[in-house]
Formats: sequence, C-alpha cells, structure tokens
Amino acid sequence: MKRVEIDPITRLEGHGKISIFIDDDGSVTDAFLQIPELRGFEKFVEGLPVEEIPRIMPRICGVCPAAHHMAAGKAVDAVYNADIPSVAKKLRELYYMAHYVHSHAAHFYALAAPDFVLGPDAPKASRNVLGLIEKVGLEIGTEVLKQRRISQEIQIMVGGRATHPVWNIPGGVTRALSTENRDKVKELAEGQLGFAEFSLKLFADIVLANEGYLDLIMGDVFEQVTNYMGLVDENNKVNFYHGKVRVVDPEGNEIVKYDESEYLQHIAEHVEPYSYLKYPYLKDRGWQGFKEGMGTPLFQANPLPRLNVSDGFATPKAQEHYEKMFETIGGKPCHKLLVNHWARLIEILYAAERMVELINDDEITDPNVRIIPSTTPTEGVGIVEAPRGTLTHHYWTDENGIVTKANLIVGTTNNHASISMAIKKVAQKLIKPGGEVSDGLLNTVEMAFRLYDPCFSCATHSLPGQMPLVVDIMDLDGEVLNTVSR
Amino acid sequence: MKTLIVGLGNTILSDDGAGVFVARMLKKDLAGAVDIIEAETAGLDLMEMLSGYERAILVDAIKLDDELPGTVFRLRPDDLKITPRLSSCHDIDIVTALALGRKLGLEMPDEVIIYAVQAADMLTLSEGCLEDVARVIPLLAREITSFVKGEKMERVSIDLSGRRSGNA
Repeated sequence: MKRVEIDPITRLEGHGKISIFIDDDGSVTDAFLQIPELRGFEKFVEGLPVEEIPRIMPRICGVCPAAHHMAAGKAVDAVYNADIPSVAKKLRELYYMAHYVHSHAAHFYALAAPDFVLGPDAPKASRNVLGLIEKVGLEIGTEVLKQRRISQEIQIMVGGRATHPVWNIPGGVTRALSTENRDKVKELAEGQLGFAEFSLKLFADIVLANEGYLDLIMGDVFEQVTNYMGLVDENNKVNFYHGKVRVVDPEGNEIVKYDESEYLQHIAEHVEPYSYLKYPYLKDRGWQGFKEGMGTPLFQANPLPRLNVSDGFATPKAQEHYEKMFETIGGKPCHKLLVNHWARLIEILYAAERMVELINDDEITDPNVRIIPSTTPTEGVGIVEAPRGTLTHHYWTDENGIVTKANLIVGTTNNHASISMAIKKVAQKLIKPGGEVSDGLLNTVEMAFRLYDPCFSCATHSLPGQMPLVVDIMDLDGEVLNTVSR
Repeated sequence: MKTLIVGLGNTILSDDGAGVFVARMLKKDLAGAVDIIEAETAGLDLMEMLSGYERAILVDAIKLDDELPGTVFRLRPDDLKITPRLSSCHDIDIVTALALGRKLGLEMPDEVIIYAVQAADMLTLSEGCLEDVARVIPLLAREITSFVKGEKMERVSIDLSGRRSGNA
C-alpha cells in the first residue's frame, strides 16, 4: 500500500496534513485529515470561577470569538439556571448576527470566490483575492472591506469589543444599548443588508449563470450523502442563537431534535489513533467508520446542513433565496457540497435582515439587561451555531461555581469525518492507478476542504491557508516515490 | 519613519504568546516613539492595522522542525509563509495582505520585518511562555528597541535565510 501525503508546509510543525492511502493496485482506499489538537483545555479551565468562562473562551481563538462567547454565555446561564431578560437575548443575537456577516463575508470573498470567479483551473498565482479584485473591480474589494469593518463596529457598539468580548455574564450582559448607538447601528445594519443582497447577485451573475460552474457544483465529485445537523427555532426555521438541535437523515426525515442539555444522549465522539481529532457521530447508530448513505451515523454541520435541517428562514428575503436555491439544485436535502458557498451567502442575508429586525425592536434599548442569578450552580450546556457548525460548550461546577470539568464540541469538529470523506472522493477521481497524481489534485483538494470553511484554531492551532501544498507518494516502507508540489 | 510594532499570539497557549509579551515590554521601552499593538489574528485585520505606516515590525511565535526553542529568526514576508497567524486557513497570508492593501490604494509599509521566536510548545493551554522562550523575550525586546532607536545592538535574532535548508 502506498501513502500520499499532502503537507501544507514542510517545515512548520503543528500544521494540518492530508494523508491518502493507496492500495497495491493503485486505488485510493482512504484519506485522512490529520491535525494536532490544542491540549490541556480541561485542566486549564478547572478551578476557574465559572463566571470567568465567557471571558476566557473567546481567547482560545481569534477567528470566531463571538461564537465561543455566546456558547459559553448560554452555558454559564444554564449553570446558574438563569433565564436571562428578553432584551439580553435580543442584544446577544444582534451582536452575533454582525459576527456572522463578518465571518461569512471574509470566507466568501477572500477564500471561496477566487475558485469561481477565476475558475478552478486558473493558476494558483492568480486564483486568490488579488486575482478576484482584478476581475471584479477595486470598488467591490473596497466595499467588502468596508462592510467587514462595519460588522466589527456594530459588535463594538453593541457589546463593547469585537475580539475578546467580555460582555456576557451569568444572567445577561454587562451593558445596555444606548439610544445613540441604536441609531448608529440602525443605519449601518441597512448597509449590511444591501451588501448581502449585492453578494447574492454577484453569485448569481458569476457562478449560477455559468454552465461550467453549475456542472461542477452538481457533479458527483463534490457530493456526499450524510445526515445534517443544525439549530432550529420552534417553527423549525434556521436560527444561529436560539432553539433546539435538529438532525435529519439524507432524505430529510427528522432523526432527532434535542435540547441543549440532552446532547450527550445523542452525540458521541470517536477517536482514531492517527489523530487527536474526534469524530462526532449519532450515538444510537454506533460508529461505523467513514461511511456515507442512509443509515450512517455521520452528520455535517455547516451552512448547507443548516438549510437542509430547517423548514426555511424566518425573514422574508432569506426565505425567498432559500426557496430559489433548493428549486435550482433539485430539492431538499441537497448533498452537493459546493452548494455550501451559496447557502453561506443566504445566511449573510438572513443575519443582516435579522440585525435590522432586532435594532428596530422597541425593547432593544431596555436597560434591564441582567438578572442576578440566585441558585446554586451545578452544570450547564450552551449551544449556538458557529459560522462553521454547531458549537457545544458544557461545564460542570462545584456548589461554589468553581469549574470541575468541561467539554467542547467545536464547529469544525462536526465535519471532520465529512472532510476526510470529501478528500477521499477527490483523490479517487484524480489519483490514477500506480499513484500518479493528476495536476488538478491539489486545487481540487483545496476546494474540497475550503467549502467547509474549516477552522482548526480552536480544534487545533491554525492551519496555513494559502498552502504551498506538497504531495508525497510513499510506499509501505515510507520511501518517497514521487513528489508533487507548488 | 512611522513605525508600527505588532505582537502576534495568544497568551493562553504557552509559547504562542511570545510575540505579545515582547510587545508588552516594548510598550515601556519605546513609549511614544512608535505605535505598538497586540493582535491575535492577522490577515485582513493586519492589513488594516498596517495601513498608514512606513515600517512594520511583526513579532510572532513559530515552530520549525529541528530548531532549539528560544531561537529567534528574522525574516521578510517573502521568505516564507510560515508563522501560524501570518497564514491562517480562515484568512489571507501576510504577503497577500500587503499586496491586497496596496491594490486597494491603502498606504502599506515598504519595510516589513518579522521576528519569529521558535516555540517549544504552542498547543497547550497555559498562561505564559516556557523557560527557553521566556528567557529570550527581554533580549529580543532589547534588540528591537535598539533597532528602532538606531542604536548599536546586540543581536539575538538570526537571519532565517542563512538557516534555511531543504524545501522550507
């Protein structure tokens, strides 16, 4: 058996690595994403006062601090069994919507769009954000950066800080929204909405109007049939902050819908010896390896999965695009992985619409943003949808509120098995008998894992992005037979 | 020369915080002379931070194979796309950030120097650096201070290009 390794940076330790195993007859048998994981998390939080947790968790990583701040905030409320004031829920959600616009926009424009705007076969040197701007124009680049900055400013006006927020506390938030800031955010939120609509129009003009790209999206290389997970509200509409976790099977039937506090009854995590990473799966189905199709215990959690598990969006414009998307791609649930990019843009639109709704809510400047918890702390779970998947925080404390144990399932972790399976499919297509690697392999592997918007900074340390990929083809003794790199 | 110093890193990930700790020392040593900030992310954020400066000095942690913890490398953006924050999977790398900034008409620094401290461990959640890295932090802060002030300096950093081997 041969082993193909795709190694982002050869001398940098602690990075992600992709290994592809090849049989004697040259067929790909398996593919794994391997990443070293952060260590010592439980030990680090053990002994800390639980009210410190929402302040500390966002520090684990600067990529989605808001998601960790929200999940930790909800978990700590639950530890104190505190039902926070309605305005505090609205403010948290408002803050979080701005984070969604920020995160999704950065992913689409800086990372995902170049593959489509310039084409997946364009040379690496131009298939990046610089080439993108060359093609779509400087004004668009400037507008993207402006809107990205505005979503940061909205977070600052609402919650004090965009990175390292310290705003969520047990029972609510530390400060109310002033009418002055409300008026400013009102204006800015409208601009975010316009930007979201513009982005979807750009996607329609450039991607959907191009038959070649549609073929790529609808082709079977980027197809994977699994279950899907996402948070939904009481009407089964997509929600990033509130609700229950719903899992549907590949035909769209609900498998389970559970409360935050019940996650351990439904989700288990499998560990493989070659990786620190865990592979979450549906507990009652048992681990069955990397297997897709009906009956698999595996699920995906990401923009398209969120749309797959839901019955739509609670805001009109996003709902319109939701319907158009599923109509175009042939119904729900959709198993075409690249559709995640489209779903991500519709989520930006939802986040912006919801932001506008919330900022126009009369209650939003209500000063009663916190209740003082009075129960004895025990344990609590908080779940939100991080931009890259369902994020679960769970803390146990002693009767003084000192953390005794913690458990996290971060967004990208949900998709680990799916990412490996997606890479395997690409490899099967592009590695020929004998281990000869076709030119498109590196690009296509990149496209495969990029569509997940994977972030390993909290699952692990950062993975280099603009990757000088190296593929080593090795025999059983580890001898390198062939190397492809760029 | 209008200079910005950015300490990159995460102070609760053992040696990963090296860049931030150097920046904190420099805030005392170079108060008023240059602007100094701490940052946990790079990419597009860094591009915006650097805008308007003629010179930027970035300090980050690094982990290369076969190097001793506490070794300080001095490099330019084009040398390598290497330190974790200067090339993350959810963002653009430093070379792209500089080029993008220029393309969008932002005033980007002509001179960018990166100091990268070889870490022993940057995956374990723990406050503060381990001994080998902690020891070099004041020495690196002193080197950067002298460099910025144009004084004679004792170098603790070594030019990475001189150490480069293999396919790095």
